[in-house]
Amino acid sequence: MKKLAMILLSAASIALFGRVAYLILLAPSSDAALLDHEFRQAAYTITWAIQLGYLAWLCMKWQSQKRDGALHDSGKSLTR
Amino acid sequence: MKKPLIGIYILVTLALMAWGYYQAIYVAPNDAMQGEIFRIIYYHVPSFAVAFAFFAVSLAGSIGFLAFRRNFPDRAQIADALALAGAEIGVVFCTVGLTTGPLWGRRAWGIWWTWDARLTTTLVLWLIYMSYLLLRRFAGGPQMQTLAAVLGIFGALDVPIVYMANRWWRTQHPAPVFGGAEGSGMDPTMVGALMWNMLAWFAWGALILALRYRVERQHQKIAAAEAQRALEA
Repeated sequence: MKKLAMILLSAASIALFGRVAYLILLAPSSDAALLDHEFRQAAYTITWAIQLGYLAWLCMKWQSQKRDGALHDSGKSLTR
Repeated sequence: MKKPLIGIYILVTLALMAWGYYQAIYVAPNDAMQGEIFRIIYYHVPSFAVAFAFFAVSLAGSIGFLAFRRNFPDRAQIADALALAGAEIGVVFCTVGLTTGPLWGRRAWGIWWTWDARLTTTLVLWLIYMSYLLLRRFAGGPQMQTLAAVLGIFGALDVPIVYMANRWWRTQHPAPVFGGAEGSGMDPTMVGALMWNMLAWFAWGALILALRYRVERQHQKIAAAEAQRALEA
């Protein structure tokens, strides 16, 4: 369940970065108002891409640390 | 008791984010001069406000570490974890501000970037804290935390310079909206949207700060236990 959540967070972040690239590089309109709209959307999207990307990285780090802690505890019990 | 409270906090934060978005897109009016692109302010300004607040947390943690490191090692470790968490979340929010800014600048000024005082000092701030994080990641040894604490304090000195840059010097970046010269300020409907987003991003920032702090404390405990085992072996 936690792994799935992390995969979803990472995928969402990557998809949002892709959307930003699309909005800025591939779909710029010639109409000024529409261009403003695309850039505003890109700014909001990149905010979420960065935040979700960081959250995904943090969750991965947390999980790997939990694993390390569990390994460490089992190692300790073996030495006793 | 603790878990339901965390759940409620997360739900409130998500509700605030949704409400902030609604305010920014559907309630606040378009700017008379800039049109829709002005709405970037509702994410851009709160990002920097949160970044500055968390750099202040990092500063407090760094000072705490230096103060406690000799006589209170446990407290010093707590302060160090707080310093790291504050710096890292601050960098995340500063990155958001430094990416949304050029998107706004491209439409408002016709350029992505300019080396004016506000933008340059902000980039320097980001670079200082990036070097802080790189130091924490790649340096080792007993002096690493002390060096990082000193760098954290040094980095925080740039925050007031960034804040004052467009007051002290003439910049491409607009003059301050709040606390600026006479006649500065915003329409009340815009202020409402900005404040809701500010609150929402602070709530989000506090949430990930708590998570990052917890991860670092766990890391410290594992490292301490490993060091103890190595001594015993």
